[in-house]
Amino acid sequence: MADAQLVRGHPGFPARPLSAPSKHKRARGGGLQRSEFVWAAAFIIPYAAVFLAFVVYPVVYGLWLGHDPALYAELLSEPIYQRTVVNTVLYVVIGVNLKMFGALLLSGLFMRRGWWVKGLLLVFVLPWAMPALPAFISIHWMLNSQWGLLNNVLWNVFGVDGPGWLDTSRWLALGAVIVSHIWKWMPFWTVILLAGRMAIPQELYEAADVDGATGLKRFAHITLPLLANLYLICTLLSTVFTLGDFNAVYFVSGGGPALSTHVLATLGIRNAFEIARPDLGMAAVMSALPLMIPLVIVLMRKLRTTEVQL
Amino acid sequence: MSKLSRRSVLRGSIGLAAIGTLSRPFIANAANKTASVWWTQGFVPEEDASFRAMVAEYEKTSGNKIDVSIIPFAPIRQKIISALTSGDVPDVMSNYNAGLTIVPQNAWNDKLVDLTDVVDTQKSQYHPTALLASRYYNNVTKTRSLYYVPTATIVAPLHVWRSLVEKAGYKMSDAPKTWDAFWDFFKPMQKRLRDKGMRGVYALGLQPTTAGPTDGNALFHPFLIAYGGSRIVTGDGAPHLDDPQVKEAVIKALTYITAAFKEGYVPPGALSWNDADDNNAFHAKQLVVDLDYTISTELALYHKKEEYDDILTLGLPLDNAGQPIASQLGVAGAFIPKGAKNVEVAKDFLKYVIQPAVVNQYLKGGLGRALPAMPDLVKNDPFWLDPHDPHRAAYARQGMLEPTAPLYPIFNPGYAEADSQQVWGIAAADVIREGMTPQAAAEKALKRMSDILAKYPIAAS
Repeated sequence: MADAQLVRGHPGFPARPLSAPSKHKRARGGGLQRSEFVWAAAFIIPYAAVFLAFVVYPVVYGLWLGHDPALYAELLSEPIYQRTVVNTVLYVVIGVNLKMFGALLLSGLFMRRGWWVKGLLLVFVLPWAMPALPAFISIHWMLNSQWGLLNNVLWNVFGVDGPGWLDTSRWLALGAVIVSHIWKWMPFWTVILLAGRMAIPQELYEAADVDGATGLKRFAHITLPLLANLYLICTLLSTVFTLGDFNAVYFVSGGGPALSTHVLATLGIRNAFEIARPDLGMAAVMSALPLMIPLVIVLMRKLRTTEVQL
Repeated sequence: MSKLSRRSVLRGSIGLAAIGTLSRPFIANAANKTASVWWTQGFVPEEDASFRAMVAEYEKTSGNKIDVSIIPFAPIRQKIISALTSGDVPDVMSNYNAGLTIVPQNAWNDKLVDLTDVVDTQKSQYHPTALLASRYYNNVTKTRSLYYVPTATIVAPLHVWRSLVEKAGYKMSDAPKTWDAFWDFFKPMQKRLRDKGMRGVYALGLQPTTAGPTDGNALFHPFLIAYGGSRIVTGDGAPHLDDPQVKEAVIKALTYITAAFKEGYVPPGALSWNDADDNNAFHAKQLVVDLDYTISTELALYHKKEEYDDILTLGLPLDNAGQPIASQLGVAGAFIPKGAKNVEVAKDFLKYVIQPAVVNQYLKGGLGRALPAMPDLVKNDPFWLDPHDPHRAAYARQGMLEPTAPLYPIFNPGYAEADSQQVWGIAAADVIREGMTPQAAAEKALKRMSDILAKYPIAAS
């Protein structure tokens, strides 16, 4: 039937049979006529120019800035760097996994029927809808040990002085950052997983009911296998996003106390603009590439998966 | 409506290209008389208005054009660093902290234009410390030269809530004159004020912070100098980190600051305060005394007369032996990066700006937050020593008429990097958080400082 198919008419493009031999001179490969090629180029060139100027050039320039191996030797000799790598790993591993597991469980809750569930979902997605910067700055203020909301509540209700959340303890401050990250981003992934759950055919659950499978068994034998691919892709995506996350750390703990909660993204900015060494900042950020590149490769492979999974 | 065709698109593009080509010589001629200037946004709108008026006057008298970008304090720093890294630079750059990090390192790397001929036009007028602060070491030419044109100066005075002192049952007239005794004077006030219901009040606004760029260093260095460590780096750029007197001063400074913190006289959050946090805490009356650069703390309350008058602005106390302590004089200024397209107009503009009458008028527009770099202006213009303003006169006296010393990064760009790395803030944190002794923390900090300074060998100059 291909011979009978026509390319849809369009201003400037006369409709023509797909397989009919062209009467026009062919200028380039890809089966485009010269006039088509010019129009195609006219549409592609602006995009390509923007892509080259604002994506390729900055990336290549960044790679060039951080290409000197001596920078990495200098970075490794910095006492703050090793601690920053540990913080980054903790932030990503704990933050992403708690967030995704929580999202998986909560997506089940939001599958329930009832007006209160809809209302709860509305409230639940608010942190994600809020702009990140004011949200994180507000958390920073709430955790202020002298006049923050949290310690004031502790004082007024229980008569006790709360801890210095961001003041002296690395673990309290890093914990505050991780909790803030989860609070901000769990709603987004919950909604994604909720959409995944909604796409699971109800017949499967009905069949499971007939076979006597309920509760945990339904979750383990239907929901989990069918959501597994989506869950994994979401986790990989979230890992990539979180590795480059700057806002939560910078605006909640500021990398403090005493530079003990920096992650690679904030250390990169610190090196670039506080120490006025953009090359060292770029090296700090690029040192995440050995972790980032395999993640992206795995992610790309998972996205190509054609198995029947959500 | 005409129909868009391939030919019409091509015709239009060729036409635009032709217009661009033909008009290029005229655009170039205009550009010859235009300098692009990045200037730091003022503390109050009047300061920016004052700057714009100065630019307008320059344009009228010179016939040149100044393309001004007024940018807030934090972004301009990032913009300047990015521009110097990429090479896409304006003709003039200005930043309050440029003399601390940006200029030392870029002068070292020979990325700045020598401005000796600009500074020389007012050489006799400049305060000697401000003049010193315009000279930086160039590692390519192996000499020092003038790369920074001082336009204003700042020092760190003490800010005291008079009402809190009195509420605690004390009088500022009873405050001791020497260093340790002066700080100790405030400590008992904390308990008395808390007993009167001020739960969140702290006696001392000492901030051993590691959050840059300036306040942690601005706290440590007066203590270092007060304890006799002023020779840590000398004017020739040579470090004296093994000097027993310097080492002892470092240990004493760390001991006093960290002991006050651990005894609970300093807000715990001060370990991570940024540059605005101590001002906020002071305004919330959570601090009795604060040590912080400029009188912006006071000027923020300029329109709240009762509170404005309640603050007492003081210069530094004497050292423990009763000798005056030199205040470190920060110099705000402008510089021209290599690669600037119109160096001549840029230099001409800066020569205009630093004329005493011009720069004085500009700084007065900022309500006196920054001082002139010229002592005669302070002496001769009643604005600066006006006895009716309780803050400006004390501040101007401290900065221009009392002993001052340059900041160490001017002598050695390695010190700029060490300050940016917050070496002293980390040392304080080592004592407070890690339980190190001040001696061990001082040894570690001096070793770190030594490693950083080793990257910047300065030929005798």
